[in-house]
Amino acid sequence: MKPGLAAAVLALLAALLTSVQAIAAPCGEQLPPAHRVLVEGNGQGRGEPAGVTVAFVPDPAPWTVSRHFALRGQLCGAGRLLRVDADMPAHRHGMNYRPTLSLQPDGHFVAQGLLLHMPGRWRLRFEIEVGGRRHWLDHSIDLK
Amino acid sequence: MLVRWRGVHQALRLVVRLGWLGLAGLLVPGGGSLAFPAQAQMVHAAPSAGTSSSPGVLAFSTVEIGRILSHGPWPPAPADAAAHAPAHAPARDPGNALSGQPQAVALGQRLFFERRLSPAGVSCAHCHRPEQDFADGLARSRGVAELDRNAPSLLNAVHERWQGWDGAADSLWSQAIRPLLDPREMASSPEHLQAQMLRQPALAAAWRRVFGRELRREEPQAVLVGTAKLVSAYVATLVSPRTPFDEFRDALARGDQVAAARYPLAAQRGLQLFIGRGNCQLCHGGPRFTHGEFADIGLRFFVRPGVVDAGRFGGIEALKASPYNLLSRWADPAPPGQPDEAVKTRHVEASHRHFGEFKVPGLRQVARTAPYMHDGQLATLEAVVRHYSELNLERLHADGEQVLSPLRLSPHEAQDLVAFLHTLTAPGPARSKVLQPKAQQPKNLNRVATR
Repeated sequence: MKPGLAAAVLALLAALLTSVQAIAAPCGEQLPPAHRVLVEGNGQGRGEPAGVTVAFVPDPAPWTVSRHFALRGQLCGAGRLLRVDADMPAHRHGMNYRPTLSLQPDGHFVAQGLLLHMPGRWRLRFEIEVGGRRHWLDHSIDLK
Repeated sequence: MLVRWRGVHQALRLVVRLGWLGLAGLLVPGGGSLAFPAQAQMVHAAPSAGTSSSPGVLAFSTVEIGRILSHGPWPPAPADAAAHAPAHAPARDPGNALSGQPQAVALGQRLFFERRLSPAGVSCAHCHRPEQDFADGLARSRGVAELDRNAPSLLNAVHERWQGWDGAADSLWSQAIRPLLDPREMASSPEHLQAQMLRQPALAAAWRRVFGRELRREEPQAVLVGTAKLVSAYVATLVSPRTPFDEFRDALARGDQVAAARYPLAAQRGLQLFIGRGNCQLCHGGPRFTHGEFADIGLRFFVRPGVVDAGRFGGIEALKASPYNLLSRWADPAPPGQPDEAVKTRHVEASHRHFGEFKVPGLRQVARTAPYMHDGQLATLEAVVRHYSELNLERLHADGEQVLSPLRLSPHEAQDLVAFLHTLTAPGPARSKVLQPKAQQPKNLNRVATR
């Protein structure tokens, strides 16, 4: 088999596997539904990846100002989660903490050490590698 | 604008129905607007049933009422620890298994006032005086020598995420080690501590009761850490009393119009500024009136000509290098079921913007803890308000937080804001006498100090 053809077959298999996974279990299905957030990358916007979805919940929930929490979640699709972060664009600052990330082969992850220290609009950021390129998948939340 | 009470109470009930009563923070996913889309909606005046009209309460909007309620209740309820903001956490010093143990608290209280811990005769209470709300009233404190910073009040310190103006310590006990050893403060040493306590049989016996070990057989380093944990077990009991603001806040919460109207209108106007145009609540939020982190507010940061206080940037470096932080072998494990107390230490990271940042202090008892800021450079609350009113943005380092802009307060507004700040302090000087330490009456001291 030619190398190009082999790569194409592998890519097809990977896509099929992803599809099967998606049919078998919706992204983040195992997460508690009460506070679950789904963020789908549709390829639009600046640097946003296509074909990936991030599902996550804060732990502990609910979101609270100035309390440490973890994000438990799942990345679905043909991507690799590199980093989780958060910032306040309007205030031009991020968190005072750098979260650590632990990944499992099935796309589940735990980001620990987050703390949103003031009320206002925060942007949760997921840096994802798709096809060798790095993208950001963002989700804004308003903290009171 | 004044409003009759029923309107306020109706708004409050609406708040309760929407499920955000008392939460310091509420977040609505989706990035859109929030539980209260009509942020400017005002509570309309309505006649009070069965009472004389009570025009003593301002027309706070539903959003404002929610913000006011988020500053309580006070004192925090330990039972709510798991579900609420940090201020509601149980009063426990992280990494300190002695915290909350009555015998340790009693011994720690005695050590807090013990001058012999220092070769120079300087006790913890030298700079943290009970009669001055556990501060000392000096711009820069003086132990063996003058220091570079102001002594913060120890009231509510147990609820702080970080200790010290630069947050160089992640627990009360690790913070307590620094002044013990600092040659400008108590100038002590592990060996001196051990020798002094061994000379007092009562102390040695108390040590044995708390630790189950003989003091004379302890390694000096263990005596240092043990002493710090004992003192901190006592400091962890120091909680500030209720204030006029708390009475107003709780009156709002329970729908007591008469009690709410006792809160001075000037203070109410100042409160409205604090939670509104002043943006003060962004950093001074929650029941302790602080988010527990650090900020650059354009203060002078030269310690003396040519010497700069690096603030939080230096604090994080010191924390990471400390042999006594929560990641060290000296930290006791958290009780079962409690969250990882070292998560903050593990994840905090210094960046350039931390340079010149200092801890956002809580504001409870603020009127009794002048002078203000990390080096006491502002003598009065009026000066503090003036600082924010005339803020010089060019003094902010790096990009600066966009939260800050000069408030340009009118003289009346400045007076109102000061009036509000005064209501965060329990009235009356009488408590200072009661709080005066008396070694022979530790129970009285402890009872009053933990009100």
